Amino acid sequence: MSKTLTNLENMDTELIDDKIMIKTVALGKTVDTSDGQLTILKGIDLEIKKAETVAIIGASGSGKTTLLSILAGLDVPSEGDIYLAGNKITAMDEEQRARVRGQMVGFVFQTFQLLGSLTALENVMLPAELKKDPEAEQKAIELLQRVGLDHRMKHYPKQLSGGEQQRVAIARAFASTAELLFADEPTGNLDTETGKHVIDLIFDLNREFDTTLVLVTHDNRLASRCARSIEITSGKLSKQETLI
Amino acid sequence: MHFSLGLKLLWRDWRSGELTLLLFSLIMAVATVTTIALFVDRLQQALMQESATFLAADRVIRTAEPIAAHILLKSDQLGLQRAETISFLSMVFSAERAQFASIKAVNENYPLRGKLIVAAAAFERGDIVEQGPKTGEVWVESRLLPSLDIQVGDLLDIGATSLLVTKALIKEPDPGAGFDSAGPRVMMNLSDVPATSVVQPGSLINYRYLFAGDNSALLEFSAWVKPLLSQGSRVISVKDGVQGIGAALARAERFLLLGGLLGVVLAGVAIALSAKRYARRHFDHVAIFKTLGATPNAVDGLFLVIFSLLGLLATVAGSGLGYCAQLAVVSILGPYIPIELPAPGVQPFLLGLITGFVCLLSFALPPITRLRAIEPVRVIRRDVDEPELKDWLGYAMGVCGTLGLMWWYSQDLELALTLFSGAAVAVIFLYLIASLLLRTSRLVGMQAGSAWRLALAGMHRRGQENTVQILVFGLAIMLVLILAIVRTDLIDSWQSQIPDNAPNHFAINISPADVAPIRELLTENQIQSEPIYPMIRGRIIKVNQQSAKTRDANASTDTRRGSGPRSGATRNLTYATLLPDANEIVAGQWWPASYRGPALVSLEQEFALSNGLKIGDELVFNIQGREVSALVSNIRLLNWDNMRPNFYIIFSPDALAEFSSTFMTSFYLAADNKLFLNDILRTYPTMTVIAVDAIIEQIQNIIQQVSMAIELVLGLILVTGAFVLLASIQASMDERLQEHAILRTLGAARNLVMGSLIIEFCLLGLFAGLLATIGAEITVFALEVKIFKLAYTPNLLLWLLGPMLGLVLVGIIGTVATYKVVRVPPMIVLREI
Repeated sequence: MSKTLTNLENMDTELIDDKIMIKTVALGKTVDTSDGQLTILKGIDLEIKKAETVAIIGASGSGKTTLLSILAGLDVPSEGDIYLAGNKITAMDEEQRARVRGQMVGFVFQTFQLLGSLTALENVMLPAELKKDPEAEQKAIELLQRVGLDHRMKHYPKQLSGGEQQRVAIARAFASTAELLFADEPTGNLDTETGKHVIDLIFDLNREFDTTLVLVTHDNRLASRCARSIEITSGKLSKQETLI
Repeated sequence: MHFSLGLKLLWRDWRSGELTLLLFSLIMAVATVTTIALFVDRLQQALMQESATFLAADRVIRTAEPIAAHILLKSDQLGLQRAETISFLSMVFSAERAQFASIKAVNENYPLRGKLIVAAAAFERGDIVEQGPKTGEVWVESRLLPSLDIQVGDLLDIGATSLLVTKALIKEPDPGAGFDSAGPRVMMNLSDVPATSVVQPGSLINYRYLFAGDNSALLEFSAWVKPLLSQGSRVISVKDGVQGIGAALARAERFLLLGGLLGVVLAGVAIALSAKRYARRHFDHVAIFKTLGATPNAVDGLFLVIFSLLGLLATVAGSGLGYCAQLAVVSILGPYIPIELPAPGVQPFLLGLITGFVCLLSFALPPITRLRAIEPVRVIRRDVDEPELKDWLGYAMGVCGTLGLMWWYSQDLELALTLFSGAAVAVIFLYLIASLLLRTSRLVGMQAGSAWRLALAGMHRRGQENTVQILVFGLAIMLVLILAIVRTDLIDSWQSQIPDNAPNHFAINISPADVAPIRELLTENQIQSEPIYPMIRGRIIKVNQQSAKTRDANASTDTRRGSGPRSGATRNLTYATLLPDANEIVAGQWWPASYRGPALVSLEQEFALSNGLKIGDELVFNIQGREVSALVSNIRLLNWDNMRPNFYIIFSPDALAEFSSTFMTSFYLAADNKLFLNDILRTYPTMTVIAVDAIIEQIQNIIQQVSMAIELVLGLILVTGAFVLLASIQASMDERLQEHAILRTLGAARNLVMGSLIIEFCLLGLFAGLLATIGAEITVFALEVKIFKLAYTPNLLLWLLGPMLGLVLVGIIGTVATYKVVRVPPMIVLREI
């Protein structure tokens, strides 16, 4: 059974389907520029099942990162609806969306997005701390052990290599016991060898925690490890392919 | 709600150096305000105490007859200390000679404030003693010893008793300026007075009851006692104890206060700038928090906790630092401050504490509240617009905070509003000029060399920020200039009020026959003197056919304007051909030197104002039993503090020539020439000389101390001003680091980068200095004319000094502060971005 919000006012019961983790309906995003309106995404309809691994691929500027940020509730669409585990997040305000993210969603970013002023351990503890979980520290230590960084817990991000920073970020993503993991070009800032280790780690943990994984990449090798790929071209869903 | 997380973040931010600048700004703000407040508090207390020495007490009741016992009982109940003195004029005798003397009898508690200095022989330096002469003993002023041809150890007869001269009296705290000091001083014990038999019913005696103690008890006592006193009795406080001191103290208080206010404004700017930088540096952090599930309310809660703790920390540390800084200032300057500073009160700490939190609320909170609006998508796309605070809200909070603090500090809405509106007008006006200057510089820069082009392009690219930065620099320099100009004018106007060679002795009761020889004697001895004026006692009996008594009785206290005396009282009248020096005609015209027509009178402004007298009014005087009628011809403004013969009423030439009169003058006598008094008094025994040199010395002493305090406050403000400049430069540091790191990566030499930085800051400083000059002129005009009541003259030197000060100050501080830009390897900068 999917985790749902305690406040069910935005729950659309017709759309509750234990198997569907993400559903979008006619999703679109336009922005105002000095040259008029620019369409970034248009008419995106898609469904992602629970525990599925999906790669969003496309050329630079195709809109794939914008799609990920909207799916994760980090940004809001200009039109259409999104449901995360039955929660219609397009009807929510920032306060409610933040609660959804805190309870259900984990992130891994290309630029790691660790807080420079916190140690590796403190970074990993943060999501649980925000939820006031009394076992935040214990969980974080276990996760850092799991990603092989138990000897680097007291180090600050700037004292860690790129690969180590990304492993801390992965540990942090799973520390929130998220059902849904979004990864934005997780190997984009890493060399091939380190990138491979990081990807192995993401997929291993994903299996272990039974999470749904949505990742944005332009690396075909990485995309090929997902069960399905969705290609975005000029803001439209141009191709869906089942890979495994 | 997020207290523990907030505490952790605060600690981590502090550990990582993120909070250093903001915390440092806040601590500096609180420390500066506390230092100034503490120092000013101690100095004010000290000045009040020093001024109290003029009275030898905190309050004095002066009366012509003994006061009721229950009044003294009340003062005892309130825990006040008290002492008594009586003074009278009498002849004193040695075996061979006699001399007219001013006798002061004191009891064992005298003096309550100030010091008595006595010596074993005449004209020696002397030592401080705590009490007056014992029973049976008498102390006499040095010049009385040669005049009576006696030594310390001889006997002196006063009335029916003989007293032993045990000391020469060198200095007393309350010499007095009236008839109390008409002759050389003789000080005796109060208990010996009955034995002299000099004091009889009807004798002209001044009783003085001295009180000292806790301020609230003094206030209560004064309020209680005033209605009980008979007419002719007066309660005198420190501020109105001696003319000249009250006004000097009031101005000094205002100035020191103004210094404090400017310190707050500068500190506020520094806090706003560092808070803005702190907020900007936390945009990414907040985006990450939000991505991890923090709601906008949680973000608010988190930073509220952080900022409350920060405020508490800063105010405690700032107050502590302020206390230490003030101790250091006092210990460094101690040897130069001629008075002992009392321990500070609690109020300055409270001032620092409240200032810290008000500053935090008005200046730091607006940028921090923007954090709740950070979009989480920022973690993916850095190009997301930064949330803009509703500008009016930020400004409104700053305006309210500043104005509120100013008002609270000064308890003077007019002063606060003048200062504030001056600054507000200057800000708007200067903003426009700053934008214009930046645009022009860009056009010039197109044709310039590479360092110049780089600097000017940089200035133009950060146009908005630089306009603000010029404004901030400009405001800081403007405030310093304002303070410096007002200070100079204030000190100059005080010092010119009583110049070094101001007359310090009054000679009265000069008989008409002695006028010419005395004038000759003064000239022979090269003693600088004022003209000799006739002095005739008389009073106004009718004003425009109406009885002066009736007019005085009808004029209630409420309707009386001005602080001059009532018209019907007897006063000293004179007549003169020329307008006395330091008198200024404010209405009507002074009569021609050759005028010998019907009697005209010239009135002093306060006297005319208080009694509703105007030009053309007909006054009838009673002089020596005869009526004299005169028309009011002009109104004069004069400075009562200048120690010259001053008159409320002056008649036209010869109008009173037929009346018998005595004459008066004032002259300057150097301390080492004091024995001249004996010569002149021996030759002209009917003449009376009143010495005011001790009072003048004390007034000059106070002015010197206040001037020093002002210099100190100016120094502290300068430090705060420099700190604002630093904070402002720090605010643009990240961007500068990034830009110059890229330039250096692209091969720009360190010299080019350094050169462009120097040019940029010197230009910013020059522009800021120019703006500061304009703003300072406007504000100084308003301040001097409206608040300090000084005459305004445009300051040409300022137009050179202002821009130069800006160029040098901002150039040096800016270059030194941004030296990091060329010192840090570009790779490190780029990796951290």
